[in-house]
Amino acid sequence: MLEVKDVHGGYGKITILNGVSFSIPRASITTVIGPNGAGKSTVFKAIFGLLNIHSGEIRLDGKAVTRFSPRQMIEAGVSYVPQGRNVIPQLSVWHNLELGGVTASDQAKVKARIEEVMVQFPMLRERQRQKAVSLSGGQQKQLEIARALILDPKLLLIDEPSIGLSPNLVQEVFLTLRRLRDKGVTVLMVEQNAKAALAMSDYGLVLELGQTRLHDRAAALLADPRVGRLFLGGAIEDEPAGAGAGAPS
Amino acid sequence: MSQFLQVLLSGLSTGAIYALAAIGFTLVWQAAQTVNFAQGEFVMLPAFFVLIGLHWLHLPLWLSLLFGLAAALLVLGVLFKKIVVEPMLPNGGMPLIIATMALSILLKEGVKQFYGAEAQPFPSLFGQTTMNWDGAIVSVQDVMNLVVALAVVAGLTFFLNRTRTGRCMQACAQNPGVAQILGVDIKRMTLYTFLINAALAALASFLISPIYLAKFSNGETLGLVAFIAAIVGGFNQIRGALAGGLLIGVLDNLTATYVTTEYRAALPLVLLIIIILWRPQGLLGVDEGRKV
Repeated sequence: MLEVKDVHGGYGKITILNGVSFSIPRASITTVIGPNGAGKSTVFKAIFGLLNIHSGEIRLDGKAVTRFSPRQMIEAGVSYVPQGRNVIPQLSVWHNLELGGVTASDQAKVKARIEEVMVQFPMLRERQRQKAVSLSGGQQKQLEIARALILDPKLLLIDEPSIGLSPNLVQEVFLTLRRLRDKGVTVLMVEQNAKAALAMSDYGLVLELGQTRLHDRAAALLADPRVGRLFLGGAIEDEPAGAGAGAPS
Repeated sequence: MSQFLQVLLSGLSTGAIYALAAIGFTLVWQAAQTVNFAQGEFVMLPAFFVLIGLHWLHLPLWLSLLFGLAAALLVLGVLFKKIVVEPMLPNGGMPLIIATMALSILLKEGVKQFYGAEAQPFPSLFGQTTMNWDGAIVSVQDVMNLVVALAVVAGLTFFLNRTRTGRCMQACAQNPGVAQILGVDIKRMTLYTFLINAALAALASFLISPIYLAKFSNGETLGLVAFIAAIVGGFNQIRGALAGGLLIGVLDNLTATYVTTEYRAALPLVLLIIIILWRPQGLLGVDEGRKV
């Protein structure tokens, strides 16, 4: 449902993506992995209209969305949860959720959706009147994910959801993502915690130096020794030099 | 006691007007991460638009006030944003701050050349009557200034917290990156902020000019006092700016009456130094973790 074809792009004149290509099917979870600086987060920004795309094409359900603005991407059914803290600190939890539907013309529907989403995240219902800044890091992340669901997106882009979360909460976030997939939502995620993320994903994508290196079923990537070396700080292109490939970390 | 009440009330009255200008500082700070050093001139100028309406266009007072407000919204809101803020902002905050300093000189000298250097009488909106209130002689103008200014601040707070547009403006101020990815129309929200600032400046101008007369150089003191009020209260908080404005107005009047008028101008600065030493984030401010 999402096709990225030979995308080159970056910030101003600095190029970060050097020809990224992949496509992901509907109702699947794909995890993007790769070393630091590979352009993982940048791919998300390119898809969501936050990057100068120099060449290449992005299609959503067959429709070209290449230089869409973030607002147009939202209207096309895409939600984006960036890395880090992304709540509006001085607004209440409920009003943060409301902002997730700010582009909708029917605000009564947004209110109904907030109720539905709070059923999935009971913690948010309990704290709906609190300021977002008073939530813990993990709670804020849940708020961000819940907010991204207000408009019922068909594609969810989520960058490093596990940072700052306890292992229990990471599992909870992953379960939420799987539930969404089972409901037909397509999920594209960047995750530092690559093994755990691949284990719950359908597909995996390895980026390196702004290019697609590998794209396969998640299970196949998990079994691939080259990916194993990557986790240990090596590169996909490293030739195994005897037994010493990949220093233990 | 009755004298104390009189002094207190007139302090609150001018303080509330300072607060209007100080709130403008905090709004522009949040929307554009810049300090508008022309804010004092923003308060000086609308009175002259009204005088143009009265004396050159021969409009009645209420129509002149409307004309003054409209001209302020256009010049201090729309044009300020389009001509000064938008071209300068991509280069960072500092060039924009310098540009507002230049703008303040331009406005001041422009009014001097265009309208004259003499202080101009400005019609009072509420008359010059006084009432006797339990022995204290209270000016109706003082009471009305306070009531109008507080009502506008209450209305603004209501708008920012209780309407969806107001919350979108807060989102842009608190986290513009997130506002963008949620699809908030940031440009429009920024324009609203500049329009509100212009309206607040115009209102402050209409309220203070009957007291101080309309003069090209009024902005020098007004801008400084409003700036100090904003810092004293906490630069990123509307209620902080309100508290700061009222505090300076009251302290100023109390010192002038009971201590000395000689050091009147120095008092806000002394207050500023004390507050910055004691509470750098201001009385009601929150730490932004950001440096100017």
